[in-house]
Amino acid sequence: MSKIAESVPPKGGFSFDLCKRNEMLVQKGLKQPSFLKTGTTIVGLVFKDGVILGADTRATEGPIVADKNCEKIHYMAPNIYCCGAGTAADTEAVTDMVSSQLKLHRFHTGRDSRVVTALTLLKSHLFSYQGHVSAALVLGGVDVTGPHLHTIYPHGSTDTLPFATMGSGSLAAMAVFESKYREGLSRDEGVTLVAEAICSGIFNDLGSGSNVDICVITKGEKEYLRNYMLPNPRTYVSEKGYSFSKKTEVLLTKITPLRELVEVIEGGDAMEE
Amino acid sequence: MGDSQYSFSLTTFSPSGKLVQIEHALTAVGSGQTSLGIKAANGVVIATEKKLPSILVDETSVQKIQILTPNIGVVYSGMGPDSRVLVRKSRKQAEQYFRLYKEPIPVTQLVRETATVMQEFTQSGGVRPFGVSLLVAGYDDKGPQLYQVDPSGSYFSWKASAMGKNVSNAKTFLEKRYDEETELDDAVHTAILTLKEGFEGQISGKNIEIGVIDNDKIFRILTPSEIEDYLNEVA
Repeated sequence: MSKIAESVPPKGGFSFDLCKRNEMLVQKGLKQPSFLKTGTTIVGLVFKDGVILGADTRATEGPIVADKNCEKIHYMAPNIYCCGAGTAADTEAVTDMVSSQLKLHRFHTGRDSRVVTALTLLKSHLFSYQGHVSAALVLGGVDVTGPHLHTIYPHGSTDTLPFATMGSGSLAAMAVFESKYREGLSRDEGVTLVAEAICSGIFNDLGSGSNVDICVITKGEKEYLRNYMLPNPRTYVSEKGYSFSKKTEVLLTKITPLRELVEVIEGGDAMEE
Repeated sequence: MGDSQYSFSLTTFSPSGKLVQIEHALTAVGSGQTSLGIKAANGVVIATEKKLPSILVDETSVQKIQILTPNIGVVYSGMGPDSRVLVRKSRKQAEQYFRLYKEPIPVTQLVRETATVMQEFTQSGGVRPFGVSLLVAGYDDKGPQLYQVDPSGSYFSWKASAMGKNVSNAKTFLEKRYDEETELDDAVHTAILTLKEGFEGQISGKNIEIGVIDNDKIFRILTPSEIEDYLNEVA
């Protein structure tokens, strides 16, 4: 009997086949490749009308800043956003995947997504990978049952909290929240508090830096405030300018101007479909 | 028919060169409830009869027109359960395309993927062809489009088409009334009149379903009260 060409779901779990080999190579002196981590400050809090999420924008590769303005607040659904700390690739991939699953779920049920749905999908995925998917997330959104805020740890455990922080700057940000948070904050008070917490992470933690991103989610509405604050502008620019030293041989100077006009040929041959 | 000896096995051609199971599948489609689609200058409309087996059935629980992506919708004629499987697969394929290319899937590509699935079930062991024909209505960068997909896996682009019980009368009616410059609202009226032609009983907002997509590229299923408004305009 021939097989129907349908996708068979994988048997599940991480394949540990290569782990012994990797250990052996490390013992022989091979330096394991480092991965891009978002040493990060991410926060979330519940206010009167909904949820506010905040994040810094620095991505590090060991001691080097790899990206000065990356986006750590990921879209999950029109009413749900997720901040990600840990390995950048893991947070990006896992939020993308669950966002896709939520979209299909919305078509099947004909209803808006709920935050607990995203939570369950994320935690079961992370648990099945036993912590090897290094993604620590702050998930927040507003659905028919009200505003929700959760934290998800790389091994798959979750917490439901009125205010939460994750990442290497979480202690700095939590210090701000613990002293200044109260229930029933207004939108502006909440945004100010979140910005303050992120700034605390930016200035006191090496792994966090650059700018503040904020996302405000209320019933039926969301505001993605990319680069809400830029507390680290580039202030010093050398007056002398940056040019080659006199010793450098310039072989050829050719300036090719960018093409401003692109001609669209109507009625050309259509591409093979 | 001399082909009857060959009608038990799906994977066998009959001497006349036909795959008899597919012919039977088309018959199943032809005995299903009428559905039709019309491509207008600024959008597409698809519509179908929603005849329920008894007045005791809660009509709000039945939905024949389904949304595949925000800008593509589908209606079927034939076996409802088979269409559910196809809708599910198509939605998943559209989503996989989006995840790979970060762009909504073009209508032709989605139709081709769906048709491929339907064809696979005509060339595999132990399965039967789908007993549905689909009318896929979409609006993308190439403008409004209407496609019909058959159980064999072949697909055609139509300006206006009908399927199901009353297909020949409906198609003749559409041929007479079709105009390329039609606006979407007029197309909806034409669709209602075509359905009315072969309708047994009193037509109302509760026993037909209409889906439209216009310039905003968002597929919407009309509510029963919106259908009633159109019916009043037509009557």
